[in-house]
Amino acid sequence: MPSLPGFEDMALHRELSANLTGFCRLLRQQGLGTGPGEQSDALRALELVGLGDAPTFRTVLRTTLAKNPAEREIFDQCFERYWMVWDRAHELNRQLREKEARASASTADKSGTGKAPTVTISDWLKRNENPETDAEAAGYSPFEVVTRKDFKRFNSADLHEIIQLISALGKALATRFGRRYQPSRRLGRLDLRRTLRQNLRRGGDLVDLAHRQRQLKYLKLVLLCDVSKSMDLYSRFLIQFIYAFQSAYRRIETFAFSTSLHRITQLLKEDDLAPVLEALSRAVPNWSGGTKIGASLSAFLDQHGGLVDRHTAVLIMSDGWDTGEIELLRASMDEIQRRARCLIWLNPLMGSPTYEPSCRGMQAALPFVDILASAHNLDSLRQLVRHLGKIQRADFKPNRNQRGQKKVPAPVLQPEEKVDRQAWLQRFGKTS
Amino acid sequence: MSAKENLPIQQLLNAQDYIADREIAMSLHLAQALAKPLLVEGPAGVGKTEIAKVMARALDTDLIRLQCYEGLDAHTALYEWNYQRQLLHIKLEEGGKKTVEEKEATIFGKDFLLDRPLLQAITHHQSPVLLIDELDRADEEFESFLLEVLSEWQITIPEIGTIHATHPPHVIITSNRTRELSDAVRRRCFYLWIDYPDFDKELAIVRGKVPDIDARLATQICRFMELVRQQKLEKIPGVAETLDWARALVALHQQHLNPEFIEETLGLVFKDWTDVRQMKESLPEFMQRLGIRAKESSLAPEEIRQSHA
Repeated sequence: MPSLPGFEDMALHRELSANLTGFCRLLRQQGLGTGPGEQSDALRALELVGLGDAPTFRTVLRTTLAKNPAEREIFDQCFERYWMVWDRAHELNRQLREKEARASASTADKSGTGKAPTVTISDWLKRNENPETDAEAAGYSPFEVVTRKDFKRFNSADLHEIIQLISALGKALATRFGRRYQPSRRLGRLDLRRTLRQNLRRGGDLVDLAHRQRQLKYLKLVLLCDVSKSMDLYSRFLIQFIYAFQSAYRRIETFAFSTSLHRITQLLKEDDLAPVLEALSRAVPNWSGGTKIGASLSAFLDQHGGLVDRHTAVLIMSDGWDTGEIELLRASMDEIQRRARCLIWLNPLMGSPTYEPSCRGMQAALPFVDILASAHNLDSLRQLVRHLGKIQRADFKPNRNQRGQKKVPAPVLQPEEKVDRQAWLQRFGKTS
Repeated sequence: MSAKENLPIQQLLNAQDYIADREIAMSLHLAQALAKPLLVEGPAGVGKTEIAKVMARALDTDLIRLQCYEGLDAHTALYEWNYQRQLLHIKLEEGGKKTVEEKEATIFGKDFLLDRPLLQAITHHQSPVLLIDELDRADEEFESFLLEVLSEWQITIPEIGTIHATHPPHVIITSNRTRELSDAVRRRCFYLWIDYPDFDKELAIVRGKVPDIDARLATQICRFMELVRQQKLEKIPGVAETLDWARALVALHQQHLNPEFIEETLGLVFKDWTDVRQMKESLPEFMQRLGIRAKESSLAPEEIRQSHA
């Protein structure tokens, strides 16, 4: 620890450094990116301002250690826990170190035996290990070829193909021109900088013209995944799907919801699927719980509404089985559709002949959906990709409505059998 | 320095009519003293940009502002060559005896350089305040480019060479969180979150910025805003809206709030039509909670007598 000349009492200084180190470790454990840089900033700042009273101390640490609203919240909790019980700091320190040691030991243990992660996720993973015995094996027939195999029967070996398909999906979604320019051989805007440079050798007469054009930019993606009980059959696929999306598509934010909303983007950045599962089971406590789609979407808009703009495609993955407030769902869907470039609803259960979306949630959400697709197997995913590719870049705004105007029904994509939307609505939905 | 007494920066800010609470003052103080950029986030209209302006005035230095937008690139932020002038120069020199190398050296010299905000900030004769406004609007590529400049305080122009900052600027970055800034940027900055002010702070701001406001009106306005911000609205009004409203009511010679004027001036406070509609509906309830009497009784006794006559 570097010595700080600002403090006369070296013992106090050492004590403070040690405690600060412990505090930073606690913050790191709570998911903050507090590194040595931040720690030394905090020490320098304390040296500058002096220890002073508790609020000052807290402000100084918060300014230097917490770097976004979420981190500030965690910081506040940790601060209470750590500094407000100053006497217990040493004790806590010791506990933390032990806990870390235990954690690393157990990870080592796990990697050794290669055991699947525990808690809820592993439970249903085991349950789904034998899908043939599952009475509700929706959309599955033993004679079908691989592409029609229902996702819930997929193992991780199929993950690769899903990733490839989703990359294609991502490319199909790259439908806007950025505002930056790149050199171009074709005609575009004149690039004066390069033109001048190239022609200077000829004495300054502009003979060869250099051009530039707009770069093609990818849309941002927001993926909202229903992980409730009713989607349980597809949960294995769901995780792979989410994970594949995350790997194939760089500009993506992923959320999981059942009764509440969880941002899981960071969790999915692991290279391997197993630790991801483990992290998910910890982060999403109500996995396979009930569903409150409306409340979850509303929470999404409140907390992360800024993520959705006209360069964002929002994908909602759910069966629309909502036990919460329907009005809230309607309002949130309306809001999301107005903000986003397009709103795609993937309903894997639609592939099942026995599935009847008589649920109110799906009916309430339908008017605000730009594209409704069943994404229950590779075929249906392929079809979605093809459909997106077909849509012309300029008019890729299907079903855009001003408020109060009549909604145009969204195209329903379902492989194999042609779905007549009107018939579908008559059968399952009531248009009010 | 004792932590109890006001930080010098706080006194400077207060002298500029900027009501800074302790956290704002402390963040600015730390950022300035430890030469770190300060990242300021918070809802729209709480005075994020204002901080930089006030700080420039308080430190008696210049404010250089870089407004970010989508597609902002190095040429717009850093420097650009003055092509028109270069071309003219080449034409003028056409008959001359200069070699190509000499010509090139001339036209890629400092005289032909257009300096944009970042270059201006680095070459300024004293430490300016550099405001990088709404960084979340620029794309990620620009962020990484900015990091390079912020960490080294030097800019390399291939034709001229590397320019070092003689007086590193005080950097203030603002973001409205339309997207998350990269961790790299966050790590490099100190962080300040400004929320909507509480009643006391807002009252102080209103009275500071609108000096000729009636004390009762100011109190009522701030109570009203406090209630409004507890509602679920599409666009929660910020301090800027409060000030606009206060100024408007002063211009209309109002001494206190009354329902008609509130209804007529709702557009100054609420910028979304659903909010306006929602407020119109809940206005009576608001009035009641604020203790403001209904239309008739708000008239002075003489006026009632006159209207009866």
